[in-house]
Amino acid sequence: MALVSLRSCGRLGFHLGLRAYATRPVGTPRKREQQDDTPVFQYVGQHRKLQGKVFVWGFSYTGALGIPSFVVPDSGRKKPRKYQLTPYRLDTEQKISSAACGYGFTLLASNSRDLTKLWGMGLNKDSQLGFQRTQHDRHKSYDYVLEASPVSLPLVNPQETRALQVSCGRAHSLVLTDSEGVFSMGNNAYGQCGRKIVEDEVFRFSHSICPAPLVLGSVYACGWGADGQTGLGYHNKASCPVPVGGDLAGVKVQQVATYGDCSLAVSTDGHVFGWGNSEYLQLASVTEATQISSPWLLALRGVGRVRQAACGGTQVAVLNEEGEVFVWGFGILGKGPKLSESAIPERFNPTVKVSSIRCGLNHFAAITDRGELFVWAKNVRGCLGIGKHDDQYFPWRVTVPGHVTDVACGVDHMVALVRSII
Amino acid sequence: MAAQAIRLFRKMDGLFAVYKPQGVHWKHVRDSIESNLLKALNSCPPPAPQHAVQFQLLSSGENSSSSKDLALSPTMVPTLADHPLVTGPQFHKVHVGVGHRLDAFSSGVLVLGVGKGNGVLEHLCKSHVTRDYTLEGEFGKATDNFTDTGRVIEKTTYDHVTQDKLERVLAMIQGANQKALITYSQVDLRTQEAYELAVRGLLYPHGKSPPILTGLRCIHFNPPHFSLEVQCVNETQKYLRKLIHEVGLELRTCAVCSGVRRTRDGPFKVENALTRQHWTADSIIQAIAHFHKTTRRIRKSGMYRQTAGQMNSSAEVQEQIRSQTGQSEQINQDEFSSSTSDTVVDRETPVTMSEGRTKHR
Repeated sequence: MALVSLRSCGRLGFHLGLRAYATRPVGTPRKREQQDDTPVFQYVGQHRKLQGKVFVWGFSYTGALGIPSFVVPDSGRKKPRKYQLTPYRLDTEQKISSAACGYGFTLLASNSRDLTKLWGMGLNKDSQLGFQRTQHDRHKSYDYVLEASPVSLPLVNPQETRALQVSCGRAHSLVLTDSEGVFSMGNNAYGQCGRKIVEDEVFRFSHSICPAPLVLGSVYACGWGADGQTGLGYHNKASCPVPVGGDLAGVKVQQVATYGDCSLAVSTDGHVFGWGNSEYLQLASVTEATQISSPWLLALRGVGRVRQAACGGTQVAVLNEEGEVFVWGFGILGKGPKLSESAIPERFNPTVKVSSIRCGLNHFAAITDRGELFVWAKNVRGCLGIGKHDDQYFPWRVTVPGHVTDVACGVDHMVALVRSII
Repeated sequence: MAAQAIRLFRKMDGLFAVYKPQGVHWKHVRDSIESNLLKALNSCPPPAPQHAVQFQLLSSGENSSSSKDLALSPTMVPTLADHPLVTGPQFHKVHVGVGHRLDAFSSGVLVLGVGKGNGVLEHLCKSHVTRDYTLEGEFGKATDNFTDTGRVIEKTTYDHVTQDKLERVLAMIQGANQKALITYSQVDLRTQEAYELAVRGLLYPHGKSPPILTGLRCIHFNPPHFSLEVQCVNETQKYLRKLIHEVGLELRTCAVCSGVRRTRDGPFKVENALTRQHWTADSIIQAIAHFHKTTRRIRKSGMYRQTAGQMNSSAEVQEQIRSQTGQSEQINQDEFSSSTSDTVVDRETPVTMSEGRTKHR
């Protein structure tokens, strides 16, 4: 907004009149009085608040980036943009507080008390974005949602409840609210939505979004357990959320991370527990077995108190209280092309303090305390956002105009929540 | 003696630094240095005139006037062939070359080379030494040529600008420039050698690159005036003035540049630059002697780079250059005062997140 304030000058009219008729020869210096009547613009006031912005990048054909012109171009001459290799601003009506990326779809949540708290875009073939009613047919839902569309939740108090956090899996999503628990939607073939498995259920055009009863501090699991990733001690599917036992029994957990078939939990006193797939040496610090079906305490040497853990498909990363990042597992770990697997945690440069770490299926993202975003590992369809298709063997900065507060990593796309600098 | 002029001329071989005042074209500086050197050379006392035997018809003896006896007698007569009024001044050209140029609006260290130093100037230009600038800026207006003497295009308010916001904007600009350091180093980033170099912070732009800022910080903030200290590679002064303008834009206001002052060009610092009173031959020769070691180092590193350039992999070239002679950072670091304090953002933000610290700026 520009507030134009004209300096009132008694001779203003006279000068304006002069300028209308007389031309000043080129090269003669302007008189000082004439310089003073240039209007002064105010673009920003003194108490301007920092704005929250959303940036997206990666593979766009499923509509996961939420920009329709990438998939269906505005004019016939343009071609669809398949990969968005650098961060692109996504315009949102409200301030987004939480974002999550699944396989070809994205969920954004706002912390507000408005009726619309949740927006989804991307793949919706399993109704992971809820029921998006089509324009032409009331009973059909869109398979691909190209723009961030509201997802309606069956809340008891929609004007009081806030959506705190969203999380996405391969074909299902979970929403955490502050007073009404967790809601799940999408594919339930393995019971991952926490409701009873119905044989041959068709998830397309499905309306079911159901709440799940949970207790704070403990970890519940449901879903496929063939690799022991439910941590419930057996390798069957679990269709109802069941508290996880093993070494986690009675331990207060502050954070859970899972991707692919491996899971990690961080307790409030800084210990890391792991269960699930260990084919890629994710849990090799405690066992040689390839599948662990109940949580074990991981004795990680030299790591110290762990604040946050992140799991990828074949690799794992933890962040300790001093802001140091440790990675291990298989794949591009971020210490050059030679280090492709490690069973023990490898540390990164300790002089850079990291405030948060995230993992996609094949890549890592770290946010430093200065608000810079570093990404590395496999660049699947441009998901790293570094402007090229090459894999990145060491951490590389992503140029984002602002301070990155949070980032969500998917398989082939990423969403960053950014706070403006001024 | 002629020898004195020639001795003086032989001493004029090397590099030295001059403080170019604002408003003066660099060519005028170069021309006045050259004419001062020539003046000094040509004002040396001319050689004693050579004498040659000449047989002259002179009237013989003392019993003269009326007698018409003219006899040939040998006399030593000065030859006029070497007389300065005949030959003109002995020196009419001294090769004075200019290193990285400074445009008329800017002031600061200007490196000049005399005689054999011109070859070393070329090596200096090719080596990627960084340069230090102090940029003075003023918030509130935007002009057509980014300076405060241009035509005002827009005026804005600037009361919302705080030092904290300015620091944030500078940190963001610097973050973007850190990437450019590695991107333009022309090494294949997928190799292990490139990773090792990047981790130690030894990757540097190789060949053609756009202007890259290796260091940027605010040294003075007093709205509407502020000063920035910049270390950069491959820049032009207009780019730096545009940088001030862009800093203003990022802060949602306008800024113009009121001064660009180069405080260091590689190993040549402003404390050792000659001011106008000292643009005489004596001071210049003294300055050349002062920079003798530096000149030698630059020449050596230049020759090494030439031979190393024949290798295939530029990662190897980089590594060899860095490890064996370690020129640029030594040149920069040894002669570098640590006046840039710990708040320099680039020292604390390594180029990548991997192990090691940057030694470079």
